[in-house]
Amino acid sequence: MPKDISISDQESQQELEKLRQIILGQDNQLITDAVNKKARGIVSDVITEAFHDRQKKDDSIKKVLLPIVENSVEHSVTHHSDRLISSLYPLMGSLVRKSVGAFLTNFIEKTNQLIEHSFTIKGLKWRFKAWQAGVSFTQYVVSQTYNYRVEHIFLIHQETGLLLKAVNLDQQSQNDAELISSMLTAINDFVGDSFQLDENGVKEQLQTVSTDSFNLLIKPGPSAIIVAAVTGTPPQAVNEQLQLTLEEVHHLYQQEFNQFNGDNALFENVDTQLNDCLLTEEKPEKASNQKKPWFAWLMIVLAILFAGFKTLNWYQLNTLHQQIMAIDHEAGIVVKNLDVHSKHLISLDLMRDPNALSVQNWFELQQIPFENVVLKERRFYSLSPVIIKQRVDKLSANFPDLNFDWLHEELILTGNIDFIKYQQLTAKLETLGINPSEVNRQNLTIMSSDVLAQSNTINQQIFKDLVGKISTIQLSFTSGDDQVNQAMESDLLQLKQQFLYLSSLANKLNKKVGLIIMGSSDNTGNTSMNNALSLKRAENTAIALTKLGLDREQIFVTGLGQINIKDVKNTARKVMFNIIYIDDTAT
Amino acid sequence: MIQKKICLLGASSVGKTSLVKQFVEGIFNEKYLTSIGVKVDKKVVNVAQQAVQLMLWDIEGYDRYNVFQDKYLRGAAAYIIVVDQTRSTSLIEGLEIHSLAQKANNVPAILAINKSDLQANWHLEDSKTIQYQTLFNAHFNTSAKNGSNVEEMFQAIAALTLQEQ
Repeated sequence: MPKDISISDQESQQELEKLRQIILGQDNQLITDAVNKKARGIVSDVITEAFHDRQKKDDSIKKVLLPIVENSVEHSVTHHSDRLISSLYPLMGSLVRKSVGAFLTNFIEKTNQLIEHSFTIKGLKWRFKAWQAGVSFTQYVVSQTYNYRVEHIFLIHQETGLLLKAVNLDQQSQNDAELISSMLTAINDFVGDSFQLDENGVKEQLQTVSTDSFNLLIKPGPSAIIVAAVTGTPPQAVNEQLQLTLEEVHHLYQQEFNQFNGDNALFENVDTQLNDCLLTEEKPEKASNQKKPWFAWLMIVLAILFAGFKTLNWYQLNTLHQQIMAIDHEAGIVVKNLDVHSKHLISLDLMRDPNALSVQNWFELQQIPFENVVLKERRFYSLSPVIIKQRVDKLSANFPDLNFDWLHEELILTGNIDFIKYQQLTAKLETLGINPSEVNRQNLTIMSSDVLAQSNTINQQIFKDLVGKISTIQLSFTSGDDQVNQAMESDLLQLKQQFLYLSSLANKLNKKVGLIIMGSSDNTGNTSMNNALSLKRAENTAIALTKLGLDREQIFVTGLGQINIKDVKNTARKVMFNIIYIDDTAT
Repeated sequence: MIQKKICLLGASSVGKTSLVKQFVEGIFNEKYLTSIGVKVDKKVVNVAQQAVQLMLWDIEGYDRYNVFQDKYLRGAAAYIIVVDQTRSTSLIEGLEIHSLAQKANNVPAILAINKSDLQANWHLEDSKTIQYQTLFNAHFNTSAKNGSNVEEMFQAIAALTLQEQ
């Protein structure tokens, strides 16, 4: 019974099929023919609405039409340029003006930005940080200006790794895009084969490659991979846009993917879709009413004030130090150490000659408060010319018959003085730091009258002193020279006075005296020459003394020749004096 | 522009990297070869006035320490088996790789007998090896050192890939 029912169903189906063929024709041919005949009318009735609805639905119409329109315009420009020019002519003037205006506005804006970034503190700071990070200034500006920026989009063939299309934000072509695409595919293959399959048994795929400031977002599809190179941190919206674009590309280019044989010209127009992925988001300007760091500013102001105060204080103390150090230039004062701790604590360590100005007086003269000075003063004997003059002035009070005058640094004595006082004066001058031989005594007359009145014992002592003093006088000659010069005259004058005084004393003491003049020479040259030279020096000295008034007959001259004593033989160019005296009683 | 993926395969030290080094544009360091096992370079050749950009995948040498990397062969339009004419074992290894590669991707293959500037240990025309000629679409005696036959080999493989379309 069931078998009968089955046969009956089959017959019904066959009859229904026959009926369908009669009505619709073989393979619906009658319907298709009927529709084809009226297709133009049917489509034309709904085409506008259909475009509108589809565009509204997924925005795909404009993407499909864009390359067609571009090609049509290009064709029109190439083949019907006259018509195009005629149509555009009325618009050209305003278009050019608008274009130039837009260019200028853009140029000024970019120039302003450049100046802002180049010459402001922010610009300099960014340049420094870019240099520190080892990236270009432009890259750093982008990282600071944008939250994220999709720089490049690559569409890569899934199976071969060949680059189908690349678009860039700055419109510059990426020369290495093909190599990068292939290598990225290789790395993806490496990851896929190197790690375990996921729970569905599908190979793992790279989704993201990240560095500190750069991200590669990878969206794999059945025929192609879309890769976005992003600076900054991309939000989820970028991932979503990549996925939408990948799906759209697969939908629109399914046929091209199937036909792909390595020729990427098939995907020339896919940039319309890829450009949608070049997303950017600028960082919002920092709110101008942000909290001011008042405390930090206060600390900075205080630090500046403190630094200013310290600088002023240092300047004042330094000036005071220089003022006080001027005391070192005062005659008879030598500063050993000066510490100006503050205006109220000054440590001064110095040496002062008793004849010099007192330290307190000096401070009062300079109008510097002395009460703040901790003074450590030590005495010393100054040889400063000023101090010596002061001492001589004091000494002059003891010799009222003499005039003490100064010609520059030379002391000039004028007047009459007896020999004893003269001896006292000479001794005093020596203790004051004056060499008696450097004193000008040309107008000084030494009186000897008082001497005669003295006792024999005193005269005997003075006589011996004079003999000793005369024998200390020596004249020095330069090598080979035998002439008495100007510098020797003072010594010769002193010698003459002492010898005359000695002669008068000798008479008093019944002695006969004579002056022996001995010349000598160094050991340079031969001995006979040196003998002659030493004698000549002695003779010239005798002549000079004779001119000063000594009796030639009281003078004996001799030449010693070379003085062969180890330490002096090279410099013994001298004339020496000695006294020979003989008691009358002895004769 | 038409692009084609070409793989260079062969035993270790037969001169695959040297073969392409002087004749391609590359930006990647050779350390990629030892890290992920492949380095990609490119070269544009003209075949009958048509420019073809060859993407050359230089795959790390196959030896006892490295397994054959068939994953990198996926999508290749052709491949080159490189052998060393001073080392007969490299031919055996090359044939083994060729056999494995054919199983993974049955595409045209060229045999590059490299180091032709050195004394040969074996010749493909020898009676024992002449049979292997038929396994390849073409063969070239190349020298990475003096550049002999390298351009010709790239031209030939580009032409082969276009014929296969």
